Amino acid sequence: MGFFLRRLSFYFIALLFAATLNFIIPRAMPGDPVTMMFANATFEVTPERIAAMKELLGFVDGPLYEQFFIYIKSVLTWDLGISVQFFPLSVNTVLGNAVGWSLFLAGTAVLFSFTLGSILGIFAAWRRGSKFDTIVSPGMLVIQAVPQVVTAMLLLFIFSITLRWFPTSYAYTAGVTPDWTSWTFLKDVAYHAALPLLGASIVQIGGFLIAMRNNMINLLGEDYITMAKGKGLSENRIVFNYAARNAMLPSVTALSMSLGMAIGGQMIIEIIFNYPGLGTVLLNAINARDYQVLQGQLLVMTLFMLFFNLLADMLYVLLDPRLRKGA
Amino acid sequence: MTIPQISIRNLCVDYITEAGDVRAVNNVSFDIGKGEVFGLAGESGCGKSTIAFALMRLHKPPAFISGGEVLFADDEGKQQDILQLSDGEMTIFRWSQMSMVFQSAMNALNPVIPIVDQFTDVIMRHTNKTKYEAVKRAEQLLQIVDIHPNRLTDYPHQFSGGMRQRLVIAIALALNPKLIIMDEPTTALDVVVQREILQKIYALKEEFGFSILFITHDLSLMVEFSDRIGIMYSGQLIEVASAKEILKNPYHPYTHGLSNSFPSLTGPKKELIGIPGNPLNLLDIPTGCRFQARCTRVEEVCRTKENPLRDIENGHMSNCHLAVAGESIGIAEVTTA
Repeated sequence: MGFFLRRLSFYFIALLFAATLNFIIPRAMPGDPVTMMFANATFEVTPERIAAMKELLGFVDGPLYEQFFIYIKSVLTWDLGISVQFFPLSVNTVLGNAVGWSLFLAGTAVLFSFTLGSILGIFAAWRRGSKFDTIVSPGMLVIQAVPQVVTAMLLLFIFSITLRWFPTSYAYTAGVTPDWTSWTFLKDVAYHAALPLLGASIVQIGGFLIAMRNNMINLLGEDYITMAKGKGLSENRIVFNYAARNAMLPSVTALSMSLGMAIGGQMIIEIIFNYPGLGTVLLNAINARDYQVLQGQLLVMTLFMLFFNLLADMLYVLLDPRLRKGA
Repeated sequence: MTIPQISIRNLCVDYITEAGDVRAVNNVSFDIGKGEVFGLAGESGCGKSTIAFALMRLHKPPAFISGGEVLFADDEGKQQDILQLSDGEMTIFRWSQMSMVFQSAMNALNPVIPIVDQFTDVIMRHTNKTKYEAVKRAEQLLQIVDIHPNRLTDYPHQFSGGMRQRLVIAIALALNPKLIIMDEPTTALDVVVQREILQKIYALKEEFGFSILFITHDLSLMVEFSDRIGIMYSGQLIEVASAKEILKNPYHPYTHGLSNSFPSLTGPKKELIGIPGNPLNLLDIPTGCRFQARCTRVEEVCRTKENPLRDIENGHMSNCHLAVAGESIGIAEVTTA
């Protein structure tokens, strides 16, 4: 419990630090969003109008430290302001719609590629130098080396545009009202997610495979593996309970890092498949100079990163008895 | 005459290297009787551990067994060649008939699963015991090595080095094997714990009657602990004799050199004389005796002909050309005040 609290307070400090950066960066950039908003306005822009708009969007005047405290307060109360682009929608609404889809797409893709990559890595290491190892291991690396843009566009071109097996865009059929209790709707979502998932997964498998394979190979020389063989244990028990059980420890860190990164970072996939996740929102926000959404987006990504790090810490303690204290 | 527990006949183990095959174990033959402790000594790299791993068939590529027989006596006293067993038969043979205590037993336990599972997996693999019976057996084994059974659910890192070594010994005893190979079982431990462990092993041997192949480079320890001792040099067994005889009346100059390299615990102080030169490069083996370049007594015949290991007197064997019954080299004469 003490461990948990210590980690938690560490993550709270990290969050405040990230929020501070988040505060400084937009203010260090030239121009301000409200002026930008009215730049193309066809009507007369009075100073009163600008002032009213600024207040509405949360851009307060006053000394920097005052602005800072107001910002931190808004972060802690989760009042992220109003989107410039989708005025009068709040940033929470704009991001809220996207977070779910991103979490679903990135989470499934990372978990799928982690599971598949690790299992392939285990077999590649156990049968090191076999046909399987010499074909699959470098093959996956080659696939990973191809930029995601290329893989995703190829998938889209072949399976959606040419063969017409899969839809070309969005998370579900246009015009359908989302109903998460309906089986037909879930099938529709899965059908739309298939290609983006494949595109997001295929480039990650190689990394997990190689990490697992290398960990395993390092471990296979350990005495407890030799002793397990000496005990005449079945191959399954040696591979999974002795070798893989130890080899997966470093991979768990890689897994949580990828999860944290992926939530905000499936931008390429989301844009190519026009998937309504955070990546698409981010691109639109940048184009529209929607600082409120940008700030909110960065904050959400930070939170996910910290959350998955915390999860990795917890998981590590669960998986490695040597880290448990006072047992 | 009773058949020995294990008879190793002309065992050869090769390593594949880029410069050609290297014979790390060359034509080694010896027997270990039932309940006997056989010690194998020699410099690092002389092939001791390679023999140990070859007997369990745990050697890893690039090592392979290129010849010989390993005859193991089963319950009915019939001899069976381990090297002819299929891989499946071998996994059943391992641990139930012959178990092993590893060189660094400190690392021989899986760090992420509790001790109890490391007992029960091997017990349940080889017997029809239920999980409950296997845990009971594990508790019994812990008591045998003086560790409280309530520590069974602990993880390896919660034990001291000496305790971990005793745990490994307890696991080695789990199926009452007929032979336990101990590959430097106490090298990583301090002398006090070392003594404690060896006394424990000796008591267990007296109680359960298994044979031991004991491997170490600590000659004084080995003389105390073993019944018979074999000395190895560059992959060959060069002298075999009872522990009492071997240092007192060596018939091979290398053994003589080894005995002069160790201080005596009880005898008078004497000057320690090492063996000049370096171990043989196995890629460049001279004709004749392998020890010729470092031998102080080398003669013309040593450079032309290799001699097989032969009985000199009453089971004391040596491969030295110059060994003649009743004329051992004897212990070093040099003593200082």
